[in-house]
Amino acid sequence: MKVKVNDVELDLEPGTSAIDAVFAAGYDVPYFCSQEYMSPIGACRMCLGKVGAPRKDRETNDWIRDAETGEPQIFYFPNLMATCTTAIMDGMVIDTLSKEVRQAQSGMMEFHLINHPLDCPVCDKGGACELQDRAYEYGAGTSRFEFDKRHQEKHHALSELITLDRERCIHCKRCVRYFEEVPGDEVLDFIERGGHTYIGTVDEGLPSYFTGNITDICPVGALLDATSRFRGRNWEYDHTRTVSLDDASGAAIMVDARTGRIERVKGARNTQVNLDWIDDSTRFGHEYVDAPDRLKTPLIRKGALLEPASWEEAAQFIASRLAVAGKRVGVAVRSDATLEEGVAAKALAEHLRGHAEHFPRPAASVIAENPATFTDVATSDAIFVVGDPTEEVPTLDLRIKDALRGVAPPELLAHGVPIADLRLKERMPRKRSILTVAAPYRTNLMRHAGQELIYPAGQEEDLFGGVGSGKAGASLAAEQLNQLKSALSDAKKPVIILGAFVLASAAATRAAEALAESVGAKVMKLGPMANSYGLEALEVTSDGGYADLLTQSDVLILSNLNPAQDVQIGERLRNLDLLIVHDSFETETTGLAHVVLPAKTGYEKEGTVVNLEGRFLNVYPAPVDSGTSEDFIGVVRTLGEALGVRLDGRSVRSARRSLAKTLNHDLAALPEEGLLAPVDAKEIGETVADTVAGNLLLTSSLLKVDRLRRNPKLRAAHGDVALRVNPADAEAQNLEAGANVTVNIGGVARSATIKITEDAPEGLMLLPATFDQALGLTSAEIVPAADLVSA
Amino acid sequence: MIELDTIKPYFEGKEDVLGEILGRYPDYGRRSAIMPLLWEVQRAERHVSEARLEEIAHIVGVHATEVKGVMSFYSTYHEQPVGKYHLQICSTLSCSLAGSDEMFDFISEETGLVNGETDGSGIFSLQKVECLGSCGTAPVLQVNDTYYERVTRSSCKELLDALRSGEMLEPPRERGGDNEGAEKPKIGSEQRVGREA
Repeated sequence: MKVKVNDVELDLEPGTSAIDAVFAAGYDVPYFCSQEYMSPIGACRMCLGKVGAPRKDRETNDWIRDAETGEPQIFYFPNLMATCTTAIMDGMVIDTLSKEVRQAQSGMMEFHLINHPLDCPVCDKGGACELQDRAYEYGAGTSRFEFDKRHQEKHHALSELITLDRERCIHCKRCVRYFEEVPGDEVLDFIERGGHTYIGTVDEGLPSYFTGNITDICPVGALLDATSRFRGRNWEYDHTRTVSLDDASGAAIMVDARTGRIERVKGARNTQVNLDWIDDSTRFGHEYVDAPDRLKTPLIRKGALLEPASWEEAAQFIASRLAVAGKRVGVAVRSDATLEEGVAAKALAEHLRGHAEHFPRPAASVIAENPATFTDVATSDAIFVVGDPTEEVPTLDLRIKDALRGVAPPELLAHGVPIADLRLKERMPRKRSILTVAAPYRTNLMRHAGQELIYPAGQEEDLFGGVGSGKAGASLAAEQLNQLKSALSDAKKPVIILGAFVLASAAATRAAEALAESVGAKVMKLGPMANSYGLEALEVTSDGGYADLLTQSDVLILSNLNPAQDVQIGERLRNLDLLIVHDSFETETTGLAHVVLPAKTGYEKEGTVVNLEGRFLNVYPAPVDSGTSEDFIGVVRTLGEALGVRLDGRSVRSARRSLAKTLNHDLAALPEEGLLAPVDAKEIGETVADTVAGNLLLTSSLLKVDRLRRNPKLRAAHGDVALRVNPADAEAQNLEAGANVTVNIGGVARSATIKITEDAPEGLMLLPATFDQALGLTSAEIVPAADLVSA
Repeated sequence: MIELDTIKPYFEGKEDVLGEILGRYPDYGRRSAIMPLLWEVQRAERHVSEARLEEIAHIVGVHATEVKGVMSFYSTYHEQPVGKYHLQICSTLSCSLAGSDEMFDFISEETGLVNGETDGSGIFSLQKVECLGSCGTAPVLQVNDTYYERVTRSSCKELLDALRSGEMLEPPRERGGDNEGAEKPKIGSEQRVGREA
């Protein structure tokens, strides 16, 4: 469709909004209520333009032409139009520069500022505020409003994580729409009306996992991130666009640091992955980085004590001990290590003639045969989820909800993502019937699913077998499973999503892949951590796996792992010839180590990770003061120097040279969306006898249990680690809600608070796992915490 | 939510009422029942408490915040019980120009109430409201469900005195207005022309 914006002629797709035509032409109009990936509502009336179009004569079906020029005559709308809610028409003319338009915009600006306190000097948003910028660009500079402004609450804590300044709010409705449209948790609404309207909720806090995004989209300083409030001004922050290493989605984040400290994390845009949204754990879970007990120098064991040392001393100490130690060497890194760190770990293990491994690594391969991308999920017409995506890969939760709206991700325009996508509406009907969620307990996503299947934990293989054969399985009726199978078979773009409980069993994964093949579905496997996919593709793996490495080594080099959390394993580690632990904090394992090396967190590393789609994404370091902390590349570099060798992976560049040979990709400076290059599927894994009995299910958790203690704001908002128990079980075992207990799982003692909920099925308790605990069914003993103290 | 456990749900045992109200709307428009449900509760209890709000949210299948949003939008719904006579003064443009501020001050002085208050004996509640849709007969005072139009100082005083003695005066309607049973003004009639001129 041909459109003319001021003097620029454009050819755009029908359905494009007029505001996008204006931006595509390189012009600008102010707007506050429109927001990418959300419905346009025309609430703020700022994007006014003089809009007209030619008309056709009904009789001749030809354009009505100007008598003098012979050109089609333009009929203007009688009033100025909000361009965000106006769709383009053939031959439309949009004027945004005339005096009339400018005057109207400046008039609206004056209205917006009537009750706005203009407290920019003390406002955190100052310097990065849409209202401030637009007032400067389009405002009159003066106000004729000489009366008292409306006074309202300045510091209303919507939750522990978000503070609302009701005076600053300009009622654009972005946050209210966001909750309804994106996560589907309608926890905010306008209360009262007219001049008294304010944003509010009847809840305690905001019961959603995706609340922080409203602080990103607020066009003024009304909604603020409580972790960063009053910490700095926007222009003082160093902005680092990187990738979150909290889960396997590879969501883009912006890390804002100041004087060596991370002050806040914001969502960044990856049009293929997380759009603009991130979960609250990713946003608010950065406080641990600056915890006072962070390890900042290497430590060497001298007798019973660990004493600070320099990296050179530590490396010399290690080299001398390696010379006399046993020959069986194991190197293991946590699965959020970058590819470059993986190369380093492999090179080190190879040089020492040992094995390299990554953990956590599920029994089955995380690389799928016919892999689905996030866009596949968002445009799918039949989704079968087995697992709990909200906790495992929160980004996926939102992308599944995109699919329920049935609107495909928008095509990019010249200026990027459309500002007003006219296909999106407020309160769109959701096609819940396309979503089936199966899990051993009631998951968050089930609230949005057309069909929910709760099966006994450990019976994933039977579940897939049942769906495939159409026979009853996993305690579910044949009818339900048949219905699901025909939905998947009939769909054009079915996707099957396999969560941690499926991947924990190679047999179940094999059954799932067989089902996917028979119905022609794409598969998405939710790997446990940020680079599970990449480290498996790179083959940082050993035949015996991590468990063998722990039991059959003389020398262990561990990065960010804490196997001694289990006292039985700890006893074995005590007898090692040499235990080197690379970690950011003291753990049970550093307590046994001969050498402790300070580790960088995920925000400080440079490297590459591969997300669950097989998308290569660059990770960039934010300027954080972490003493002499190094990533595993630094460990290998220093050790290599002490051992007199130049190992692959001694620097990011050397690691990337090696990666270019093995993976055939140049990983330096990948585009922002990353490089989607799934590798060939591997052997699924050996089938071992699965655990089918137990009273406790270790689940994934969006809130990282290991870091919760050092993330005080998140902890205040979401509480301590909860042991979820069914009401019937709680009564039988005499457990009280809110009681503190110790959960003994093998040699691991975990403290937790009892939460009684119907979400947990009878006979099964749910506990979020730590990084070092394998997910799945296990047996546990519950001991009241008080007894432990008295004993 | 705590209240819900201890107070008997309003719609418990009123399945017929509930069924009738929900039956008015198709299943996908269940949310539309929020308004009549709120009204049903308020008519019986003179206000909608937080427990009732939660109950309605649960019935309709929406979040309680949304019900609160709807309820607070309309000044006809009350969070606190109102008095026997709920005095609602239109404060939107036409009434404001016709002196509704002065009327409010007068009533406030007479009753000793400020905006949103109910007196101790539970007779009067005073509230400023937005447009009552009777701009042609401004200023308007609504007492419970009855409109009193073109209120003057003396007619207001008369009305308050009558209400104090427990008597609702029949609203004078000689000039038309939108009250039920009132005579519709004859368009183009002498009076109308006279006013425009």
